[in-house]
Amino acid sequence: MNAPILAEVPLAHSAAATIRRAAPRARASLRLRGDLAPFEAALGLTLSGRLGSRADAGPREGLRLGPDEWMLHTTPDDLATVTSALAPLYADHPHSLVDVSGREVTVVIEGPRAAELLTIGCARDIDAIPDGAARRTVFDGAAVILWRDSATRFRIDVWNSFAPHLLDLLVIGTRELAAETS
Amino acid sequence: MSFYRVPGKGRVDLSRPVTFTFDGKTCAGGRGDTVASALLAQGTHLMGRSFKYHRPRGAVAAGSEEPNALIGTRRGPGRFEPNTRATVQEIYEGLQTRSQNTCPSLKFDVGAVNDAAYMLFSAGFYYKTFMWPRSFWDKVYEPFVRAAAGLGVCPSEEDPDHYASRNLHCDVLVVGAGPTGIAAARAASADGLCVVLVDEHSEAGGTLLSEPQAVIDGVPAWDWLARELAALKDTGVKVMTRTTAIAYYHQNMVGLCEKLTDHLAQLPDDTPRERLWRVRAGQVVLAQGALEKPLVFHGNDRPGIMLAGSAQTYLNRYGVLVGRRPVVVTSHDSAWFAAFDLADAGAQVQAIVDLRADVPEALMQQARARGIPLKLSHTATATRGRLRVKSIRVNPVTGTGVGSPEVIACDAVLMSGGWTPSLHLFSHTRGKLAWDDDRTTFLPGETPEACVIAGASRGLWGIKAALNDGAAKAREAAAALGRAGSAPPYAVAQDRTGSGVSARELPTDLSPGRAKAFVDFQNDVTAKDLRLAVREGMRSIEHVKRYTTNGMATDQGKMSNINGLNIAADALGRKQPQVGLTTFRPPYTPTTFGAFAGYHRGAHFEVTRKTRIDAWAESHGAVFEPVGQWRRARYFPQTGETMDDAVRRECAATRAGVGIFDASTLGKIEVVGPDAVEFMNRMYTNPWNRLGVGRCRYGLLLGEDGYIRDDGVIGRMGQDRFHVTTTTGGAAHVLNMMEDYLQTEWPDLNVWLTSTTEQWSTIALNGPDAAKLLQPLTDVTLTEDAFPHMSCTTCTVAGMPARLFRVSFTGEIGFEINVPAPMGRALWDTLWRAGQPLGITAYGTETMHVLRAEKGYIIVGQDTDGTVTPHDAGMGWAVGAQKPDFVGKRGLARPDLVAEGRKQLVGLLTDDGSKLEEGAQIVFDPAQAIPMTMVGHVTSSYDTGTTGASIALALVAGGHARLGETVHIPMPDRTIAARIVPTVFVDPDNARIRIPAPETEGAAA
Repeated sequence: MNAPILAEVPLAHSAAATIRRAAPRARASLRLRGDLAPFEAALGLTLSGRLGSRADAGPREGLRLGPDEWMLHTTPDDLATVTSALAPLYADHPHSLVDVSGREVTVVIEGPRAAELLTIGCARDIDAIPDGAARRTVFDGAAVILWRDSATRFRIDVWNSFAPHLLDLLVIGTRELAAETS
Repeated sequence: MSFYRVPGKGRVDLSRPVTFTFDGKTCAGGRGDTVASALLAQGTHLMGRSFKYHRPRGAVAAGSEEPNALIGTRRGPGRFEPNTRATVQEIYEGLQTRSQNTCPSLKFDVGAVNDAAYMLFSAGFYYKTFMWPRSFWDKVYEPFVRAAAGLGVCPSEEDPDHYASRNLHCDVLVVGAGPTGIAAARAASADGLCVVLVDEHSEAGGTLLSEPQAVIDGVPAWDWLARELAALKDTGVKVMTRTTAIAYYHQNMVGLCEKLTDHLAQLPDDTPRERLWRVRAGQVVLAQGALEKPLVFHGNDRPGIMLAGSAQTYLNRYGVLVGRRPVVVTSHDSAWFAAFDLADAGAQVQAIVDLRADVPEALMQQARARGIPLKLSHTATATRGRLRVKSIRVNPVTGTGVGSPEVIACDAVLMSGGWTPSLHLFSHTRGKLAWDDDRTTFLPGETPEACVIAGASRGLWGIKAALNDGAAKAREAAAALGRAGSAPPYAVAQDRTGSGVSARELPTDLSPGRAKAFVDFQNDVTAKDLRLAVREGMRSIEHVKRYTTNGMATDQGKMSNINGLNIAADALGRKQPQVGLTTFRPPYTPTTFGAFAGYHRGAHFEVTRKTRIDAWAESHGAVFEPVGQWRRARYFPQTGETMDDAVRRECAATRAGVGIFDASTLGKIEVVGPDAVEFMNRMYTNPWNRLGVGRCRYGLLLGEDGYIRDDGVIGRMGQDRFHVTTTTGGAAHVLNMMEDYLQTEWPDLNVWLTSTTEQWSTIALNGPDAAKLLQPLTDVTLTEDAFPHMSCTTCTVAGMPARLFRVSFTGEIGFEINVPAPMGRALWDTLWRAGQPLGITAYGTETMHVLRAEKGYIIVGQDTDGTVTPHDAGMGWAVGAQKPDFVGKRGLARPDLVAEGRKQLVGLLTDDGSKLEEGAQIVFDPAQAIPMTMVGHVTSSYDTGTTGASIALALVAGGHARLGETVHIPMPDRTIAARIVPTVFVDPDNARIRIPAPETEGAAA
């Protein structure tokens, strides 16, 4: 798993969960339809999985968000490589690759009750998201991408301006869960 | 031990005493008591006054259906809650409670004059009584109505508690943890389904808590209960107490309100007071049981008169005798058992009065064995006792009428008019109800939700029937989820089955017209009111309800609806289903605003979006304003400056040197694909085919109706790539609208949209020195020839990758520099430092507004209101008339959009130089009679900016053809005259927008 390097100081920590900001990642929105094979070859990633499925190779992670939409995460250096690998395909395989690295930040939620913590802001059935999958969903009113890395570890990508609001609730929830006695 | 507490009875732990106060007096109880049970244990029945007549009232029930015993609870500053039901509120050390609707005191109340004047307060009194004389309304009636309206006292302090919410998914949600619900949870969970069992009480058990005599599968009820709850826990069933299922929403979403701290003496840290659960369940089992009905007779509301089943609960669950000499009045077998339990606990039951002639022999034998006098075929006709019932008047009923009365002294009356299945949540599902004539009640029919209803809530009676039905219905629910479920049949000994008849108001030998026979205790509605409503023409129960307010109180008619319906149906001479049943609406019981608000209060009330440059603005003293969800710097006051001072300074500095502005909140959309230009042609009014790469253009977006929806500058970054900007507030809407067209109308287009609003930080530089400031920082040659107005390019600025636009929203030389969002602050700091020698000035949205207004640039949503066309706004030039189609093209051809005399955007200059008020109405002739014909309104107005005059933009009928004419703006104190002028107040030739020739540039370098 391509664990993002964690910022050192947790934003919140309790027996229930720990909240951290992830180190910056390069991100790009890839939109295309038709033949996926040339793109899979150029990226070295499987793109043809079900919606919400992920694939990774080296530094790259790909997440299928829609029939014609993928989110790519990679290292800042590698994004230029991705861009130049896809550019030659454009003439025969029109697509849209838009750098959104600056748009979002990632929050890491980890701990024995991480999944339960997410229920304070997310209406989806968290337990129904398989480990290693991801979903575009809403958390406390903000559109997010929720990555489930394992039973006890999640990532949330959220637009930067919504992050303080979202983190505020996660911090409240981390304390609230820890205070529960039963 | 208090006089009414029965040793060895109940579940209250008296070894753990709890003291609390009621109306300032200290009261004692034990752990597990409610306020009502603790007060009853010391013999206090009087707990409040009624809403309309201020009649003395006591608890009539033992649960959340209680209409009378509403109290205010308090624990320290801010923690006050009115209208809490004393029958539900658990006592804790230090709890303060107060009675309500009392003035000056509970025992003596001046509002009780309403009771004597009750003839004035008949059904619909508020429609009649306050009609005349008209002049009385303001001074007399309205203050009276306002003072009398409302239940309890509204809290005045901020609530220091916090509230929470959570989502929960499960296979089966069981509502109600009585025997039905427990059996259902057991059956549903047997096959591995995820089951949640909720109950509003402090402990699970429901009826079992009030019927300890039952023996289930050979085990006494309370032992069985403990064993089952432990077994459920072991199976993984989530059992939630103090949790009310308040509402059944669409698609099996059920709202639960969990009370976490209202029973605790010490408030734990980080624990919310209440939590709202949004449960999405595969199947829902409703097991809410049944609610007992009161009997309707004159004086049935005195303290000490209560439901027989509730008296049984007070005895068996709380160990409290509600009276030592009670009389039982009933039309149902169940009250006989209450009489037996009270007698066995030491009460001297004065009589069992039953409306029926035929009662099962077994019951009569048991009564006789206890020496209880029996009065069959008897009615109750009156009661006495001011603050507590002292006697009841009963009469025999014969085939020919009501016989002579007999008065029986007593200290409590236990009444039962039978039981009503609780169909509240079932009703929320839009479930159909079927009238059952035998039981005189509605039973559940079909529901569109994945929901079953079991036990007493579908009319079954007895613990065995409830257990077995709960299990059977849960197996149905499990089967719908593809599981078997299981549960053996239950055997119950000492079960108390029975039946009864349903009555209207009881027969009487007294004048029915003077009877205070209450149907709805909380809203003080009597049987007489209901009959009056029918006499006055109400035919549907919906009208009767609204006319009399029967069932409209906070208890939603839990006790009164069926009695009310029976009486109305009788008055109409029709069957109950033909008169109808009012629907129940959420929430099931009163719910705090806090629970609904959840985390969304204070600083977390709503998202406040901030740009990456916001912190700089804050540290430089910016005053902010909200724009959509964003907060934006409005102006940057220096010491002692007012807003007008600051804005004047910022405007002047920008026109004279260079101003810097954070434009990051502008919406941005990346439009990419071979069909990008075609897409742009179809969305925007403007033509895009001939816009070259590296050029940008002002784009206007309409709705289908032809009215302006949004605007922004759009740059062509590549042959197939556009950088679209939108208004700050319109960003999400524009993207949604574009996606909507793309996905539903033009799925054939090869083009994709990506929101890049937050990908970029955008900094605007405006002013004659803007190019001078920027040139040393970029590789782009900033001359009129190399990078003319309305150019765009990808470049570097201060070493950062950038998209540079040469645009102006001020009329000055202007640039918008987009850099990857995280770099925004660094770029701002760099520009700020580099601009110091040029006297760089940061400006906010207010200055931006003034500078653009001076140039006549519109702001969508301020100068437009959703009814303004491009032509109205003087922007017909932006409409590509030759284009085959664009969104809004057909709308623009509508007759009323091309008609003469539409309101059009013009400039206004006041004759006296005063500033107009935005939104002020405009007239042509100030001498005309009122109401005047209004011909438009002021859309934007500013104090002197840089023109030396206050300026305004306005929409005026036929305005474009009225240049030079005078219009009038009537204000409260005077009428202001203003001249219609063109919308451009500064530099109409756009000379200032040009970058001067090289010799100036050389000087700058």
